[in-house]
Amino acid sequence: MLKRLERINHSVSVWFERIGIVGLLAMLGVTCVDVLGTKCFRSPIHGAIDIVMLCQVVAIAFTIAIAQIAGRHVRVELFVSRLAETSQAVIDSFIYLFQFILFALIAWRTYVLARSLQIAGEVSATLFVPLYPFVFAIALGCIPVCIIFLLKFVNSVIKAARK
Amino acid sequence: MNPVDVGFIGIGILLLLLFLRMPIAFSMAFVGFLGLAYLNDFRAAFYTLAVDIYEIFSSYPLSVVTMFVLMGSFAFASGMGTRLYKAAYVWVGQLGGGLVIATVLASAGFSAICGSSPAAAATMGRIALPEMKKYHYHDGISTGAIAAAGSLGILIPPSTVLIIYGILVEESIGKLFAAGILPGVVLTLLFMITVFILCRRNPSVAPSGPRTGWKEKARALALVIETLVLFLFVVGGLLIGWFSPTQAGGIGAGGALFIGLIRRELNWNKFISACEDGLRMACMIFLLIAGGTIFGHFMAVTTIPFTLVDWVMGINVPPTVIVALMAFIFVIGGMFMDSMAMLMLLVPIFLPILDYLQLNLIWFGVLVVLFVESGTITPPVGVNVFVVKGIALNVPLETIFKGIVPFFMAIIALILILIIFPQISTFLPSLITY
Repeated sequence: MLKRLERINHSVSVWFERIGIVGLLAMLGVTCVDVLGTKCFRSPIHGAIDIVMLCQVVAIAFTIAIAQIAGRHVRVELFVSRLAETSQAVIDSFIYLFQFILFALIAWRTYVLARSLQIAGEVSATLFVPLYPFVFAIALGCIPVCIIFLLKFVNSVIKAARK
Repeated sequence: MNPVDVGFIGIGILLLLLFLRMPIAFSMAFVGFLGLAYLNDFRAAFYTLAVDIYEIFSSYPLSVVTMFVLMGSFAFASGMGTRLYKAAYVWVGQLGGGLVIATVLASAGFSAICGSSPAAAATMGRIALPEMKKYHYHDGISTGAIAAAGSLGILIPPSTVLIIYGILVEESIGKLFAAGILPGVVLTLLFMITVFILCRRNPSVAPSGPRTGWKEKARALALVIETLVLFLFVVGGLLIGWFSPTQAGGIGAGGALFIGLIRRELNWNKFISACEDGLRMACMIFLLIAGGTIFGHFMAVTTIPFTLVDWVMGINVPPTVIVALMAFIFVIGGMFMDSMAMLMLLVPIFLPILDYLQLNLIWFGVLVVLFVESGTITPPVGVNVFVVKGIALNVPLETIFKGIVPFFMAIIALILILIIFPQISTFLPSLITY
């Protein structure tokens, strides 16, 4: 059951990253075309800054989960790794629980923020694109991260209990 | 409870969470959130958490990080490091210690198109180590030089550390890039002098490589032209004010991608892999900045940075002593933490002190880079050392750390030189008029 959930969450994270890559390449493409347009033809892309900003939200928010799975978030590996496995499992279960709480809070509060931006009708400065879908994207990007930490928490508790 | 006391308890909990293996970005966000909830209320903390994260993710000035990180990933995947090493190898390989000098030169060249220190160490490690093995170089000097020369990546522009520092202290990224050029050249020379001295003392640690003719040397120059053009176009364009930092990064990434395609080095898989690598690295940096911002807001509420200024005003010591104290904290912290995390944690705390002392923030930025640079090669968490260890599997960590010592001394020498002659880092920025 846990393994299956992990596999599904991994697939979701991989797909999210693909969306992130599209956002990243859109940022790159818009920046290059804008520079060439400005310098060579004196015609910059209208709202290039808005597009880059919003694509960046998509790129980063949808990559948090896969970056976590790939172990890209920097941590200090010095002390806990020298402890007995049981102690490591107990400590890990607490740390994963804290991280789950943090990302659950981020997902919840960015959802609330997105709703308030939607109600207020907030739009970007130049292109007047509604901002709320991009804040929803952050909340959505945090869901697989929450699942990763929840699964790791459960696994650590099971490991500690077995020892 | 007094806000300052709450702040120090918060710092204590942060350090505890770090040592319990909670990622640095998440620890800062978690402690910052809890601290704000305690000192203000949960509503304010919830608001700060959501708004800070959204504002960091959607920050246009920070898109420069994404672009330059992507440029480094494309340069790495396009094999530009390999070609730089080949060229340096042909030119200086025949000298005593020539392959190490070639590694240092190629690292300096690669640093001019890639702002990441582990990426530079990984690139040179894969190319240079087998060659040095072939010519019976001592493991200490070969691995130590690769790890140390990799650290040039965050000094010579474009540098991700200088970008983040510039955003934190609100200094021009163009001027900071200019400030990194001469110290980068001096450090490259110091590394080469280090190799020369080591070879004079014991020539068997790094024997000469194969002899090459002038024709071969001339042909090898063609291998560095693309890097030179890309560097001059991107960094030069930024320095003369032709590009904004994000535009320079975007053009640099586009240029590195174009070179990879022209050279037929980039196939679809390599391209996707470079995008993934760049995006994950950018995501890691953005989360660090978001975590650092939330923690910074907590610190501001505790008034600790201002209390530190009061303390500095109270003690009657020259600014050099304060700088030395900050350097000490950076170097010690750098032994346990990643360079970017150190920057996010310490710069906002130290900034009011720097303002009070009226220190040149550009000069201090270069010093900060050197402090965190030394952290990338010192035990126990020297990230470059672990990158090299991942390539040189048979070489014990102890040998690599021992091999680094002379190069670490070169970095310390540069720090002292910059304190005595700050003009080395302030001269080029002073020529920039914007």
